[in-house]
Formats: sequence, C-alpha cells, structure tokens
Amino acid sequence: MSFLVRQIALKSSGEEIVRPSTVEGDELSIGRDAANGIHLPDLAVDPRHAKVVQTAEGNLTISSVGTQPFEVNGRSVTDAVLDPAVGAELMFGGHRIAISRDADSGMLAFTVRRVEAVSDSAEDKDITTVYTLKGLLPGKRMSAWTFAVLVLISFLAFPIYSYITYKPLAMQEKARRPDSFHADQTWSSGPLSLAHKNLGGDCQACHTEAFVAVTDKACLTCHTKDAHDHIADKSRLLKARGEPTGMAALQRAVATAFNRPAGRCVDCHTEHEGAGAMPATQQKFCADCHNGMKGRLTDTKLADAADFGTAHPQFKPMVISGMDGDKPLFQRATWTPALQENNGLKFTHGQHLSKTNGIAQMVRRMPGRFTETDGLDCKDCHKADSTGTRFKPVVMEDSCQACHSLSFDQVGGTFRTLRHGKPEQVVADLRAFYRGGAPARSANLSGLARRVPGDAALRSTAADYARAVRFYPTRAEQAVAQVFSNGGMCYDCHTVTRGGTMASAGFTVQPVAQNDRYYQKGWFDHKAHDKTDCADCHTETGTSNKATDLLVPGIDGKGGCRTCHVGGEGAKLASISVKDPVDSSCAMCHSYHMDAGAPWAPAKDRKKDVGQTVAVAERPRFPVKLH
Amino acid sequence: MATIAPKKRTGTSRERTATHEGFLRHNNLFWGKLSAALALGLLALYIWVPLPGQHFGSSWLGYTLGTIGALLILWLTMLGMRKRAITPGRWSLKAWTSAHVYLGLCLTVIGTLHSGFHFGWNVHTLAWGLMLLVIASGIFGIWIYATAPRALSANRYDDEGAITEKQMIEALRSLDRQIHDAAQPLDPQSAALVNMSLEQDPFAGSFWNRMTGSYPKCATRHAAAELRRMRAYKPRVADDPVDKVDALLTRKEAMLGRMRRHLKIKSWLQAWLYVHVPVTFALIAALSAHIVSVFFYW
Repeated sequence: MSFLVRQIALKSSGEEIVRPSTVEGDELSIGRDAANGIHLPDLAVDPRHAKVVQTAEGNLTISSVGTQPFEVNGRSVTDAVLDPAVGAELMFGGHRIAISRDADSGMLAFTVRRVEAVSDSAEDKDITTVYTLKGLLPGKRMSAWTFAVLVLISFLAFPIYSYITYKPLAMQEKARRPDSFHADQTWSSGPLSLAHKNLGGDCQACHTEAFVAVTDKACLTCHTKDAHDHIADKSRLLKARGEPTGMAALQRAVATAFNRPAGRCVDCHTEHEGAGAMPATQQKFCADCHNGMKGRLTDTKLADAADFGTAHPQFKPMVISGMDGDKPLFQRATWTPALQENNGLKFTHGQHLSKTNGIAQMVRRMPGRFTETDGLDCKDCHKADSTGTRFKPVVMEDSCQACHSLSFDQVGGTFRTLRHGKPEQVVADLRAFYRGGAPARSANLSGLARRVPGDAALRSTAADYARAVRFYPTRAEQAVAQVFSNGGMCYDCHTVTRGGTMASAGFTVQPVAQNDRYYQKGWFDHKAHDKTDCADCHTETGTSNKATDLLVPGIDGKGGCRTCHVGGEGAKLASISVKDPVDSSCAMCHSYHMDAGAPWAPAKDRKKDVGQTVAVAERPRFPVKLH
Repeated sequence: MATIAPKKRTGTSRERTATHEGFLRHNNLFWGKLSAALALGLLALYIWVPLPGQHFGSSWLGYTLGTIGALLILWLTMLGMRKRAITPGRWSLKAWTSAHVYLGLCLTVIGTLHSGFHFGWNVHTLAWGLMLLVIASGIFGIWIYATAPRALSANRYDDEGAITEKQMIEALRSLDRQIHDAAQPLDPQSAALVNMSLEQDPFAGSFWNRMTGSYPKCATRHAAAELRRMRAYKPRVADDPVDKVDALLTRKEAMLGRMRRHLKIKSWLQAWLYVHVPVTFALIAALSAHIVSVFFYW
C-alpha cells in the first residue's frame, strides 16, 4: 500500500511546479515535522497533526493526533471518514490538500498546495495608502460634505422653514408665534432692546417679508398712537436732507441697489444692539438734515443746528408777553442776557436772598421756620413738582405770607387776614370792619326827642346828617386806599392801577402768571441737575432786584448750558476747556416723538390718560383665528 | 538671416538654487508683509473711521470687510484645486501657498473686525468660530510642516543609510520569512505564538495608535515576551531553535518600532488636514447661511 503526494509550489511568474513523491506504508501522517509523509511547513500545523489510514472497505479514515482540528470540505473536525472515489478537500493551517485517485497508477493522490502567504506582511500592500491615514479616519471629502450639509440644514433650511410656517402671522397686531424655540432665532445678530424684548423669537413681527428691509408699516402695526411722522410732507424731508455726495452718495447707491430704502424708522431706531434700553437716536441722524438746512430748504423757519457745542442756535424761551384777562399770553423770544418778562409781580430776588439785610434778620428771628438760619433759600419758595422735573407755582399763602402778613385785626389770639387774590373781598372786609365809624346821629332825628315846633329845623338837621353820612371821610376808605397804594400790603408785591369797579374801590390788581416751562421745544429736567447749586445756572438771581429780569439761563454766557454741555462730538473742547464736560447729543434734549407733557418721563410718573405712550406690546400668543 | 532664435525651454537648462526656500520665507516674505500691512490698515480704518450705528457689520466698512473676507475664504479654499497643478515662477504653487498662509492669517483680523466684536449664539458667530478653527488648524499644520520632516528623516537614517517606505515593508517580509523558517521545529504552543506575530498586519492599529505610536496589542512583542517567559526556567541546550526565533523577533520588533515612528510622524503631518479641509466646507456653508440670513431678514 502506498500514497502519492504531490507538493505544488508557485513560481514568481505564477507557474506551478509539481513535485510528486510516493509514500510507502498503510499509514500516512500529516504535520509540520519533516518526518511526516505529508510535510507542511506551516506554524499553524502541529508537528504531528493527523494520520490517514485506509480501511478494509477502501474508505479513508483521517483523525487528529492531538486535539488540533482540521477542515474537511470547509467543516472543522478531528475525525473524518472519506470515500476516495468521491474525493475531498482538507485544510491544515494555510495548506489545502485535495484527495483524489490518480488515474494512471490507481494510487490515492494527495495534492498539497500552499494557499495562504507565510505572513500578513507578505501579502500585497498598496504602498500609496498604507502609510497614510486612509481608512482610519472618515474621509475628508465625506466629512466635508457631511458638515456642510448639516450646517446648511440647521442654519439655513430650518430657519427658512420657521419663516414659512409663521408667515401668515406677519403684520398681524393680534397674533404671534408660540413661546418656544424657532430656528430663525439663530439668525438674530444680537439681543433685542428692553422695549422689544417680549417680541422674543417672533422674528416676523418686524421682518415681515423675505429679502425686504424692515418697513415702517411693521413698526406701525404695534405703534399705533405713539409714533408719528417727523413732518407730514415727506418731500420736504427729502429736500432737507439734500442729495448725498461723495461717500454718502456711493453708500446710498449701494443701499438702493440692495433694496434698502432710506428714511425708514429703523434708520435711526437700530435694533439688535444689546439687551438694554434702546439707544438714543444718534446725533448724525439729526444733523444730516438740520446742519445747513436753510440752504436746502429756504422757506424753513427753523435755524440750522448740528453739534450742540458748536452749531446750535440761541435758545428761544417762551416768555409771558401780556395778559388776556386772567390768561397769560406767551411769545417766543430770542434769549439775551437782558431779556425781560412781565409776570405782574414785584419781586426782588437779590434782596430776598441776601444774608445781611432786614430780610435775613427776620429769618434769623424765626429759627426752624426756613431751610437755612441765616437767610432765605431758593427752596423756601420754589417747590419741585412730583417728578422733580419742574417747579410748582409759588403760592402766596405758603411762601410769602410768613413775612408779608395780610392780617388787619386781632381778636384774642386769632388774626383776621385779608383774602389774597380777591380785591373785592378785601374792600368789603375792610369796609365792614370800619362800618362802626359813621357820624353820630343827631338826637332830634329820633322820633322820641323833644323838638322845636314846625318841620324846618328837623328837615335841616336831617339834611345835614344825610350830607354828613354821604360825605363822611370814613377810616374804611382810608384803609382800602392805603392797602392798594404805595406802601400798602397789596402794592408791595402787585402792580395796582386805577380804573377798577366800585366793588374794588376803583383799584385794579394786575393779574399774575407764573411761567412753568420756558423751553418748550427742548427738554430740560431739573432732577438731572439736582447735584448742582441753583445759582450755578441761575447766576443773576442773587443780584437781580427786578421781577421782570428773566433769570433763566441761555445757551452761552455765565451759567449757560454750554458751560457743561459740550455737544455730541466734543468738537467744542478743541477751542475751550470745560470743567466736567457733559456729552450731549441732540436726543438729550430733543425727542422725535413728543407728547403734550415731555419727551420722556419715568413710567411711574406717566399720565396714563394722555394718549398712548407705549406700543400695544401684549399681543396674544399663537394660535389665534386668522381671517 | 540674422534672427535670434528664442531660447528653448527645456527641463534640463532650468536653473537650480542650492538653498531651499520654503513657502514661509518665499519671495522675501512678500505675502507676509502684504498681509501685515493689510491687517494694520484695516485696524486703523476700524479705529479712526467715524461710523454710525453700533452694529459694525452693517456699516459701509463692515460690508466691505465682510465682502473681502468672504471672497478671501473662497480664494483660500481654491488652494485645494490649485495644489494639484505644480508650476514654477511668480505664480508658482509655492507663491500661491505662501499667499494662502499669510492671507489666511490676515483673515483673523478681517473677520473679527467685520464682527465688530459682537458675539452671540447665532449663525454669524458660528461662521466666525469655524473660520478661527480652520485658521488654528492651519497654523498647527504650518508648525507640523516646519518641524516634523526633520524627525521623519532622522527616523529613516541609520548606519546603513536611509530606508524608504517600500524597503520598510520588504525588510519586514524578509524577517517574517526567516521567522517562519526558524520556527518550524517549535512545539505547537510556541509555534502558535510566533504565527500570531506573522499573521498580524504591521499596519494594523487605530487612528489613536498611529497618533500616539503606542500599540499595546502588538503580537510580535507579545510572542517575544511569552517565548522568553516560557524558556526562562528551561535548561539551556545547544542549537535551540528558540534562540534564533527570539533573535529574529527582536529584530522584527525594532523594525516595527521604526516603521511605527514613521507612521506616527506621517499621521501628524496629515491629521490636521482632516480638520482643516472638512471644517472649511462647514465654514463655507455657515458663511452662505450668514449671508443669506442677512439679506433674508434685511
């Protein structure tokens, strides 16, 4: 009995070399050891791996010597019985052994072939890629596409989807998006101002149309009452601004090309600038038109204005020019240091504020009655209103009467005073007081007296008495005349003329008006200046002894606003030195949206009934019915 | 005919300079100086040009900077296409790379000034952040390109001269064949250990293994160590086949070590591009979203 073993090796050209050998004996061993009938130089094969025995029936029995298995027709086994007529394929490590019967000799033939390389390194390696990171990291192209698509979906497609979803809500005052995340919020360039904070993620409250710049209509959807045009005639507005030149013209052209029209609300009221209050309109936006406006808009009544420090017209305070009955007539007059205003009173600020005269002495005698102990102070008479912005009118009873007493009689410890502000009442009270001073009535005028017979004497007496009563120079009339004339109580402070009615004994007290706001077009807040002394601005008060002196400061000069306020650009500082300069652009005093009271007041002090000062902010949440 | 024949351009007559001038020092730092001047000029404009508004991006200078920045980003991205055509001269690839590097650095100034230092959780800041990430990875790339090649060369040289990548594989194959032959007489257990070393792909290992150069699952080292451990208490015999296998495994380990250092340096040379390139495309996407969003909610 013998076996035919064919060892097949490969040439480098791929050609096969067959080395046949015959193994004598009944048993054929397979293993790594060279003594085996089939020698497999393979480290995965045991030195004596398996043995092959032919049974009496002609079958082949193959069994492992140790515990290491081998493969028969792809199945891992340790024992196998094969029919040589059918043949089989064995696998030991990296070697394949095909079993067949040799056609020529009739011997059992074992064809051995190495099918796996000796080592992994011996296999083909692509030198251009094995030394690179290829296969270890996601490819650059792949991740580039992935990242790009992810970004485009999250930050472009998703926001546009949000926009389209809520598009029907645009321009609806009474509807807005639900309070949740909306993808187009990722487009926000910064937080909204305090006033618009509650619009939150409702981008379409303002950005109503895609690729259309925010329109005034969007603003006016909510700002129904508190916004108005700067001037009604838009063409004048454009004329005032004039045609831009140079860089501005280029900017205008580019903006127009990109569908960004000029003159919208948002040109001045810029948003997404931070979470604080909306910043004040910048000076530039005012100065663009108002600087040199007379040249472009020749019929304007407004003076040119730009930076407050260098290019602002003199102030024009509203002063009382006369009286129409009890109502004052106002007129704007250009401020000069000598400007006068007749409010009907006589008053000497200088005397009253003196620290050395009789008035000061009176104050010293009434310690605790006034703010200071050595003389009067401004606030003894001038009381601020509830906001601190302006001053309440001076009231005679509160501020003057302590010294300028109107008392004329004392009953016990009680003083009787004349009625202030009512000349007729004064005259009546005095007449009543002196009524007891009529001429003595002759005794014979009473029916009970003895008399000369006949009527002549009686008639004469009656006539004499009647004449005496008629022409008796009573003390009442003297007192009335005294009160209304030079040296009298009224005359001290009021201008009194003749020509009144009988009721006021022929006297007329000129009506008095107090001006509570001189600067109507600009906004001045005393509260903002309460750290400064009154006399810092009202410089002439201490020396003025005429009530007609207008003690309100102007733009320049001693105590004028420019003493501290240097304008928005500080250009003023180039020519003069200002101690504690205050940056003051247009919006500090001038506001675009003025109501009847003042441009702006703290919310708590705002009169709720004076128009609507804030927008309809509390719009209901989506979903709402849309028509 | 007295005509002067035009000088023929041939590859052989090209002048060669002895010293190498890299893209960083190219043309006496022309692009570096240009970028520095540009950055300083824009900074001066930013500081001294009076502009309305708080939002810098929506001023004329802001839009100008934004346009320059966006176009610059697209141009810088073009290096990826340009680098596949290597040409000499003024517009050589080296000049282009030099411009790419220095103008790319300048982009930090342009982009940041365009932002007006207003940052938030939005697509605009995302684009800015991605831009900085790309530039930072680029700076890292420059640093690696400036330092790694020297280490790469040093690793390839030994007493017998330089070894190429191809030779590294050949050396391993040769060692593997020798180990295979030497291990034939070994007992099954030892043979299996040695076989594991042969079966392992020398290029196997994750990205992390490559970058750190640490391969804890190295079968060759394991086989060598195990064989020595098994042999430690056995009596010494002459012509022990294990001696030869051990010596060969040690040589293979050394060869593998050198190849892995090579792989490590090469990985560092390449890895930054796996950030630089994909993030560039993310940046272009974010930039597109940024531009569209500005005009969409105009």
